[in-house]
Amino acid sequence: MSDWQSSPPADDWTIDELMIARLAACFADGDQACNGMASFVPVSAFWLARLTHAPNLVWLAGAVGLEPRPDRVPASTLEAPLWRDSIMYVEQFGDFWNFALNGRWLTKFCVGAAQLDRYGNGNNSVIGADYHNPRVRLPGTAGLGDMGSIGKALYYWNPNHNPRSLVERVDFISCAGYLGGGSERGDAGLDGGPELVITNLCVMDFHPETRHMQVASLHPGVTFEQVQEATGFELPAPEGKLPTTAIPTDEQVRLIRDVIDPDNMRRREFGG
Amino acid sequence: MSAEKLTTLPEAAALVRDGDTVAIQNMATQAAPMALVRELIRQGRRELGVVCLVGGIPVDWLAAAGAINRLIGAAVSMEQFGLCQRYRKAVEAGAIRVEELSETALNARLGAGARNLPFLPTRGLIGTDLIDVNDNLVMLDDPFGGPSVVACKALVPDVALVHAHKADRFGNIGYEPTALWPDLGIMPKAATTVIVTAEEIVDSEVLRANPDRTVLPGFMVDAVVEAPFGAHPTSFFPRYGYDTAMHLEWIGATRDDDAVAAFMEKYVTGPSDHAAYLEAVGGAERKAALEAWEQT
Repeated sequence: MSDWQSSPPADDWTIDELMIARLAACFADGDQACNGMASFVPVSAFWLARLTHAPNLVWLAGAVGLEPRPDRVPASTLEAPLWRDSIMYVEQFGDFWNFALNGRWLTKFCVGAAQLDRYGNGNNSVIGADYHNPRVRLPGTAGLGDMGSIGKALYYWNPNHNPRSLVERVDFISCAGYLGGGSERGDAGLDGGPELVITNLCVMDFHPETRHMQVASLHPGVTFEQVQEATGFELPAPEGKLPTTAIPTDEQVRLIRDVIDPDNMRRREFGG
Repeated sequence: MSAEKLTTLPEAAALVRDGDTVAIQNMATQAAPMALVRELIRQGRRELGVVCLVGGIPVDWLAAAGAINRLIGAAVSMEQFGLCQRYRKAVEAGAIRVEELSETALNARLGAGARNLPFLPTRGLIGTDLIDVNDNLVMLDDPFGGPSVVACKALVPDVALVHAHKADRFGNIGYEPTALWPDLGIMPKAATTVIVTAEEIVDSEVLRANPDRTVLPGFMVDAVVEAPFGAHPTSFFPRYGYDTAMHLEWIGATRDDDAVAAFMEKYVTGPSDHAAYLEAVGGAERKAALEAWEQT
């Protein structure tokens, strides 16, 4: 167990490390977490949480290997090198969903989406107005179409905050957020929903009544105007001064660089 | 006495007819029955539908060959190697129609098919637009008074293609200790015809020594073929890892039509059989490198 509690804020940190530390803080000791494909930021965050404040955070790597012992973050977050030395294999297609659909476990889920709108709806299906004749065919909903509708708290991560990825209205809802805002999600019979959006510029949450996305904290050196400029819809003006997102500590940065991800796989998600 | 199921790759692939809906085991870069996929392309199969959980390079090769016109699945992606570009282009050109399902909805459609039910419900997808564009998904009141669910219509693929570690000549299929990954549990049970390739054909006594590792019974399997490295270039845990170099070569080729044609000739339609394919991709040296995946 490292001395993470007494470690000072780092002088030398990068934005990927800040996002990983912020996402790690969302997971508590005793939670269960799972990851899907191309999920370097979530995987690093789960691992960091386990090495610091949440040693009993259960990790189901690639939704297949329980409590794995990889030696570093590998090039794939689905393949065997991530889930080596697991204590149990969960059959991904069938049994995994018996755990995830049951309301008691895996109550938080990290989501990456090509488009995310002001009410936290995600799109990984198509760009364009006609689903059957898309301008761009995206990979598809995979597990997101389930995770958005089954009561999970959703944590979006977006390493490339820009007006194309944060839009007023998604072209197509393939992950249910707060739908049209207000009470619509609850009216549809859905519990849970989007909690946070962690980008390379800021952290955003959702207004408790309107369910509109709003800035919760700005990363060091970033202004609200910069965030607005990079966002495809109008953000509510902040009431008073916005807090600054915590800088990762020396120890967190050391763990990410030296222990968790010495090959810098996490950087692959940035600059796209 | 059990029926003989052992056959050749060409004869097994001939069980798939033009227009069939074919379920393919695959998860991005993992566990795809690639030897069978290549044989289908060599035989010039047309107008196939593909059912997959997360389709990777087999879907892209079938799309490049013009062999498919519809896909039922949760995603198509090669993960770290990006989107399947030939598939994507074909969808955007209107040549492939996509029925996109969430994982639980696909599981429900196949599960209903396997159990001879008209549908199975899921709580996934509620609130998404995926229900509105799909006639096989219908919102349904809970007859017991609870919240509504999504009825997912039974799906019975014509054929399921699976790759396994071991099989005997009667079609009993054995897996080595591994995650049951990804879709073995349901696709073959829903499909009318099941074709399996195996890393090795073994004596039935080998399976009898570990019956808990037999995952499909011979009576369910229509044809079994020996195909060592039959999942290449996808991975087949724990025997070998995915082939990074070949995925990158394919991604490079997808940028232009001539390069795609040259790639397909070199690796898919050119080699006369599976053994010739394995030589074309680097033979014993390449295989040894992929078997050493734990060192990477």
